Amino acid sequence: MNPTSLRWKIAALVAVGCCAVTAVVGVLVHRATFDRSMRLGEDDALQALTQIEQEYARTGTAPADAMKEPGELPAELRQRLAPPETGALSPVLAGSTCYVEERPGQPWMWAAARVGGQVLVARIEMGPELRSLQALDRHMVLAALAALGVILPVTVLAAELPNRRLRRVAATARRIADGDLDARTEARGRDEIADISAAVDSMAANLQRRLLAEQRFTADIAHDLRTPLMGLLTATELLPESEATDLVRDRVRVLRSLVEDLLEVSRLDAGAEEAERLPVPLDRLTAESLSRLGLTAEVTVVGDPVAETDPRRLDRIVANLVVNAHRHGRPPVEIGVSGRTIVVRDHGPGFPGDLLADGPRRFRTGRAERGGGHGLGLTIAVGQARVIGARLRFGNAPDGGAIVTLELPA
Amino acid sequence: MDRTTSDAPVTVLLVEDDDVILKTVTMALERYGYRVSTAGDGLSGLESFQDGGHDLLLLDVMLPGLDGIGLCRKVRESSLMPILLMSARGDAVDVVSGLEAGADDYVVKPVEISVLVARIRSLLRRAAFTPRETASAAGTPDEGAGGSALAFGDLTVDTAALEVWRAGRPVALAPTELRLLLEFAANPGLVLDRQTLLRDVWDYGWDGDTRVVDLCVQRLRKKIGADRIETVRGFGYKLRRS
Repeated sequence: MNPTSLRWKIAALVAVGCCAVTAVVGVLVHRATFDRSMRLGEDDALQALTQIEQEYARTGTAPADAMKEPGELPAELRQRLAPPETGALSPVLAGSTCYVEERPGQPWMWAAARVGGQVLVARIEMGPELRSLQALDRHMVLAALAALGVILPVTVLAAELPNRRLRRVAATARRIADGDLDARTEARGRDEIADISAAVDSMAANLQRRLLAEQRFTADIAHDLRTPLMGLLTATELLPESEATDLVRDRVRVLRSLVEDLLEVSRLDAGAEEAERLPVPLDRLTAESLSRLGLTAEVTVVGDPVAETDPRRLDRIVANLVVNAHRHGRPPVEIGVSGRTIVVRDHGPGFPGDLLADGPRRFRTGRAERGGGHGLGLTIAVGQARVIGARLRFGNAPDGGAIVTLELPA
Repeated sequence: MDRTTSDAPVTVLLVEDDDVILKTVTMALERYGYRVSTAGDGLSGLESFQDGGHDLLLLDVMLPGLDGIGLCRKVRESSLMPILLMSARGDAVDVVSGLEAGADDYVVKPVEISVLVARIRSLLRRAAFTPRETASAAGTPDEGAGGSALAFGDLTVDTAALEVWRAGRPVALAPTELRLLLEFAANPGLVLDRQTLLRDVWDYGWDGDTRVVDLCVQRLRKKIGADRIETVRGFGYKLRRS
């Protein structure tokens, strides 16, 4: 589970939003309820005080607990108390009220009025109100939690739908990148995800169209070049043996290999090549490759190397490397086969610096003393290595000579 | 057995629209002792084929009118004659559709005559296995005469008479298909990898195209039952014993 997934971000956002709304509403309700119970408490306390005052006015006495010295009052109430009345005792005195929590959880509402040097006091217990307010707070928190408990899973599930569509777009794009140009998202809808899906689809369609056009072009060129070449080749085979015939045959051979190499490069460039993998014993393939080329090399084999790869392409790579070593290097050419690695080395002047820096480039054959050739062999080797997922590294040995290392994928 | 060593010359029907190739290949094959009859397009190629008297078809793929693949399909409707395709394009589509249409093998132009002749010989060797060929060359020593019928479920393969029956009905197999089935029948239940098949049936080395094997196995499955030959992923194929 990816914690940075869009789904969890959306869920967190919704949770934060829910909590904020609940907190604001909760504070407002709490304060409104508190204010209301204060008002009711004040009313009750003042009403009780009025009764005591009326009784005092009528009888001149008051119950003992309703008659206090000012010093007995809570400090806050003493400050609020109206100054002592002068003159006749009016029937109803202006009372002051105060909410005092004497001990935690035991609040009282006081109402008081001065009578002479003394104070008439009425007290209403506010405990039940406080407790019902606390109960209200608890209920609101519980209700908020319950709402979150429903909303969060629903959000996560709802966010899963666009997530799934986005993942499908990503997977399709990856398949296209891996060469499956028939892959399409086929998304419906009119939102942003449908937009990006449509964009990926049209990108793939364009890519496919261009690739197909290029492939068709390459195939047509191949046909147009090979047909006269085939006539030429068979015709030269019919010529009577002579020195001139040998020259013609040699040139036809060169022309043919150039055409085949160019066609191979353009096929590789078109990106349409696919590897066809099977288990290949690398030592046997190397030996057969050498015997077909008619070239010699000192082959060292370690163990029993077998790789899952495309034998025809691997044969092309090995053959091109060996031909290159013979053409541009000096014997002895050495081939080391071990595990999934094939190393081809010669004892010539080594690769030029720009090849080591930039990799092989077509029609660039390096220094004149490295001999003839049209410089496509290494380009093809690199292209074929890419098709079978192998890595080709070029280097020079410290004691002279070029080294090419082919690493096949595991 | 190689027909090129017997008295009657092997006749190749060459269908090719390029005049130079037509002429030079004809001359070169005649030097190797083949008799060559030619046609310049697909439809006249089909007519020549229907006139009969050929041992092998050598077809160009891109032909005016009826192309090589269409011609291949038409020929396969009535004949098991070995067919070798010559493709100048060499891309997967040509190769695959040609082999699916029933061609036994293909070469990509330009091809040296020596290579072409080697392919033709290999094809004719396979053709020498077919009942038609053994019947015409009566008295050819067969390996293990008598008691040579092998049964694999509802499939019966007679390795001596070179006949194949499925559920009591005879099955007509092209030379390469029969040769492939015999290779499987000689190793029942064993996995044969594509490279081995390519080497033993088609005479190819590592440079051979294993699609030839895959497509021939597909054609064989259509004729002897799809589940008779199992694909062992990453390795090759095997024949089910029962």
